Amino acid sequence: MTEHAKVTVGVAAEPERLGLRVWVRALFLRSEQARGYALLSPTLIYMFLVLALPLGLLVTFSFWTQNYLDFDRSFTFTNYIMFFQKPIYPALLWKSIKMSGAVTLATVILAYPMAYFLAFRVKRAKMTWLILITVPFWTSYLLRVFAWKIILGYEGVINSGLKSIGLLENSLEFLLYNPFAVVITLAHAWAAFAILPIYVSLEKIDRSLLEAATDLGDGPMMRFLRVTLPLSSPGVIAASLFVFIPTVGDYVTPSLVGGTTGIMIGNIIQSMFGKANNWPMGGAIAVISMLSIALLICAFLWLIQRTKRLV
Amino acid sequence: MDKNDFLAKYRAGTMTRREFKKALAAFGIGVVSVPLVHKVVRAADLPLLLGWGGYDEEGFHQQFISKFGDPPLFSAFGDEEEAFAKIRAGFQPDATMICSYKVPHWAAAGVIQPIDTSRLPNFADSIEMLTNVPGTIIDGERYWVCQDWGQTSILYRHDLVELEEESWGLMWDERYSGRLAMIDSLIDGVMVAAIYGGAEDPFDMTDEEVVMTKDLLKEQLPLLRYYTNSMTDIENSLASGELVAAVAWNEAYAALLGEEVPVSWMQPKEGAMTWTCGLVLMSGAEDVDGAYEIIDSLLSPSAGVYEMSEWGYGHANKKAFEMIDTKDLLRVGLPEDPNTLLNSGIFQKPIQNEPELQTMFEEVKAGF
Repeated sequence: MTEHAKVTVGVAAEPERLGLRVWVRALFLRSEQARGYALLSPTLIYMFLVLALPLGLLVTFSFWTQNYLDFDRSFTFTNYIMFFQKPIYPALLWKSIKMSGAVTLATVILAYPMAYFLAFRVKRAKMTWLILITVPFWTSYLLRVFAWKIILGYEGVINSGLKSIGLLENSLEFLLYNPFAVVITLAHAWAAFAILPIYVSLEKIDRSLLEAATDLGDGPMMRFLRVTLPLSSPGVIAASLFVFIPTVGDYVTPSLVGGTTGIMIGNIIQSMFGKANNWPMGGAIAVISMLSIALLICAFLWLIQRTKRLV
Repeated sequence: MDKNDFLAKYRAGTMTRREFKKALAAFGIGVVSVPLVHKVVRAADLPLLLGWGGYDEEGFHQQFISKFGDPPLFSAFGDEEEAFAKIRAGFQPDATMICSYKVPHWAAAGVIQPIDTSRLPNFADSIEMLTNVPGTIIDGERYWVCQDWGQTSILYRHDLVELEEESWGLMWDERYSGRLAMIDSLIDGVMVAAIYGGAEDPFDMTDEEVVMTKDLLKEQLPLLRYYTNSMTDIENSLASGELVAAVAWNEAYAALLGEEVPVSWMQPKEGAMTWTCGLVLMSGAEDVDGAYEIIDSLLSPSAGVYEMSEWGYGHANKKAFEMIDTKDLLRVGLPEDPNTLLNSGIFQKPIQNEPELQTMFEEVKAGF
């Protein structure tokens, strides 16, 4: 009885605050959305701080100019105009897109058989296989690039190997320091990002569909083309996006194995923010690259939608 | 639970979820706490030196180590433009290694502060002409002390190159297409083209001379295997024969001679470049006393002997020259009297219109 009295006194003392609290709580419980956002909030705040904020900053100062050391904060399109006036930037962006396209194609083509094997042939210890695929990712990205430098180098594994068995007299120089080396290195570095989504989509395919196709007279080849491949296309598309988007802007790989011909747009952005001390120009190049990639991806997805409808 | 117990239970599948999570947690805490053990915690008290890769070798820091037990903290850069960008973006070393031609520019940007040489006992033993390198004393205040000096020139394989005359032109020789390499910086890359092209003053070029330099660099690009800031890359490539000639610092010459690779160090008729590099005290230094300790240690005779015999760069300390064997000097291509080399060739000076040149250089490297 005394306890009850105490509570009542408490309520009487702060009716307004409690009322507000109850009201907020009721609103919160009633609204699915509010609860959803509350649940998301740690991630949302984090994403805002480390992604949206810097991105906003990047866009903002892409409209400024820099006089070596000082920013001129007046709004201007100079950097964007400069991008299209100088042939170097669009050409370099186009070259980077082509190289990433090649990387994506190579990665997906190499990853598909691996994922297929994993999904259809491996029966025991699948987990072990999956872990084995991720093993190269336990080392740093930089180390993997250096490893390729050693493999492709002038006195590297391939050259000295071929020389020691007498197939080669002089080292092959086209292996390293060109776009080819960049494509190979990136294709390996991003392999797991392609294998895993393709594996998941292959794993989900209903095996009875394959049986049905066989019953209806399809050979292994037709069965693959008419059942397996179309059903795994979500995985292939996801893999392509996972590989294409990040590789367009890569700069470490080209600067280490690209030599004088393998330079990509990321290298220019990096030097604008570094040696050239021109952050606004770097920002503008980065913004234009992002927009171009986004447009390309939209076009790619739209094309896929269309072909699907036609089929 | 001991290790074997754990494995046996895991294999048999009798482990409870709680037990497994305990094991995972123990492992996680172990991994995360490794960096916290004593050494690193102590090291956090030490001052930070920002410099070219390689200057963290302990031979440079003997005096510092004998006082504090550990070498100073070290962070590496590829060239000073990179270091400058890093500092501008908020990185705060206590002392930084830069070459004399950069000093006016860094001082103008306000990132360095005057040095009180009375706090550097070893400074008194500096070679006379290195204590008044142009541009390093601004309004009567000394902003830089010299640590070392050397040359930028062409290092080539005399067994693989037929030389008509000693000239920078070797770096444009089409016979060696794909087997040449350049240093990736304004001072040691772009200036080479300017000198070869005959610019009146390579460090203060007219607009026509900049165009001429750009054309030369564009002409050179297809002949190059790569641009690099890493002498290790150049040393490896020259040793294997992947490259026959490269623009390099004389450290690479000393290193390859040590490996008995048939290389020669060119004295081009247009003039090799002489440089003097040293140390600055940062405006943002949190540990100024520590920075003085780093600098004095790098100026010490022991660091000098180490640098000259192992790296082949000249050192600023006169005593180091007295301590080192003349044979060791000649072996790495250093003169007995430092003034001979310091007075020869083209002395590296501050570069005018640096931002335009840097942008031009980036364009050339990207193929435009």
